[in-house]
Amino acid sequence: MQTSQAETPAPADKKSKAKRPIIDCDIHQISGLEEIKPYLPRHYRELVEAYGPAYPGGMHFNGGVGGRMADAYPEEGGRAGSDLALMQRQHLDRYNVAYGILTGEGYGIQATINYDYAAATCSAINDYTIEHWLSRDSRLRGSVMIPKQEPRLAAKEIDRVGGRADMVQVIVCNGATLPYGNRYYDPIYEACVRHNLPFTIHVGLEGEGINSPPTGAGYVTNYIETRCARPSTMAAHLASFIFEGVFERFPTLRVVLQEAGVLWLAPLLWKMDQEWKGLRVQTPWVRKRPSEYFREHVRVTTQPIDETPNRAIFDSLLDSIHADETLMYCSDYPHWDYDSPKQALPKLADGLADRVYYDNAAELYGLPPREKEAEG
Amino acid sequence: MSATERRLSDSRRPDSAESMRPAGSSDKRFRAARVSEIPPGSRKIVEVEGRSIGVYNIQGAFHALRNVCPHQGAELCKGLVTAAVVSSGPGDFRFEREGEIVRCPWHQWEFDIKTGCMVVDGKVRTKSYEVTVEKFGVSVEEDYVMIHL
Ligand code: FES
Repeated sequence: MQTSQAETPAPADKKSKAKRPIIDCDIHQISGLEEIKPYLPRHYRELVEAYGPAYPGGMHFNGGVGGRMADAYPEEGGRAGSDLALMQRQHLDRYNVAYGILTGEGYGIQATINYDYAAATCSAINDYTIEHWLSRDSRLRGSVMIPKQEPRLAAKEIDRVGGRADMVQVIVCNGATLPYGNRYYDPIYEACVRHNLPFTIHVGLEGEGINSPPTGAGYVTNYIETRCARPSTMAAHLASFIFEGVFERFPTLRVVLQEAGVLWLAPLLWKMDQEWKGLRVQTPWVRKRPSEYFREHVRVTTQPIDETPNRAIFDSLLDSIHADETLMYCSDYPHWDYDSPKQALPKLADGLADRVYYDNAAELYGLPPREKEAEG
Repeated sequence: MSATERRLSDSRRPDSAESMRPAGSSDKRFRAARVSEIPPGSRKIVEVEGRSIGVYNIQGAFHALRNVCPHQGAELCKGLVTAAVVSSGPGDFRFEREGEIVRCPWHQWEFDIKTGCMVVDGKVRTKSYEVTVEKFGVSVEEDYVMIHL
């Protein structure tokens, strides 16, 4: 949130005084073709060496420099998000990040029609992430990348690596061929439940590859329009989860909504509850008010936190989405729309801040509780 | 590496400015750098009284900006220096005031180096955010660029 905070920010090159330990739910380690190539089986490795990655993505210009913060590029050269030491210095250490959930990049593989190649690439991303990131910093946790366009292969990948203690969720892009409540995806949810992993929807790949157009009205020209359309796609997934009865079929499934904004959820919850009163008879398996399913099963991460014209509106919308139970902080480091742990959100009341910056994520991901003595 | 990236990654440690407070002067003046260290089109980040400050040379005139973005605190002066992009309609891009605009390295908000004000398309954003960057007076004395705090 853009704020008019009175206090002048500390010089950015000074070490932060941040004491509150935080859990950052969305950090992007690079996981592009160059990084994962060694982890591909020979057949695909030879093909990508000869022809390139062969998956969609990049239909629009991104923001920032190559989609990243301009100062996240290692000074010695190299790509943003590729250097653990820089990530530690610039983000993890500086802001007292107790745990960081890695969400990867290159979800284009989830929009290709070649299911077997998608599955091999997802396995390569997961193996690379485990070896190159998770084993090198005990604060980091991983997300299982899956070929979600072929749910049986996706379930196989979840069974392959999802039982590891350092893998804490399953991740998919927002762009999809069918809304995620559709029973087509049930094998994925069965596997999530088997391994007690949340199913996390991260924006991206709307309208690319085999995925449906980025808006119900068709394709848009500019990246900024795509960004504005993302909440409607995510809203469709959320309504689909609730009204197709996924949470009745899978009572322990948790879903995380990532990077499509936060505050628009409030009027959607009101709308779903309102429509349900008159239309419940058509979906009688939906036993509770839709907003109750949201509260119980769905979590949402902060970045990019919506800018509201005044604080009172911000606070009342947070109340409306039960932020004390459902909202989890994330930065999106090192992407260009990074939300600083110290300055993106306005100052929250202590109890709420503890929930948003730590407790909600610790409970969801089974991470150790906050060390209270570290605060101050 | 592109020219842009090279420019962006030029982030050597800031040098400390030397205090030079002439008698009878109300503002404090600090040597930021030798004039020859900041040729036209370049900038240098210095530290003055605990503040990190970017000193820019735009066609021979010096300007100093606080190296903190008022949005979320990024090191603003590490951002790309470029032009203001204006347009008469879709597909038309024109570049004005070349070298006078710095784009924040994080969210790419644009600031006018000469005034410290945010460059915006509409009044709404200006009103909501009331963004300015702390700006300091600058003079040149005996080959030194001086910052007035
Ligand atoms: S921190 Fe500078 S634009 Fe956001």
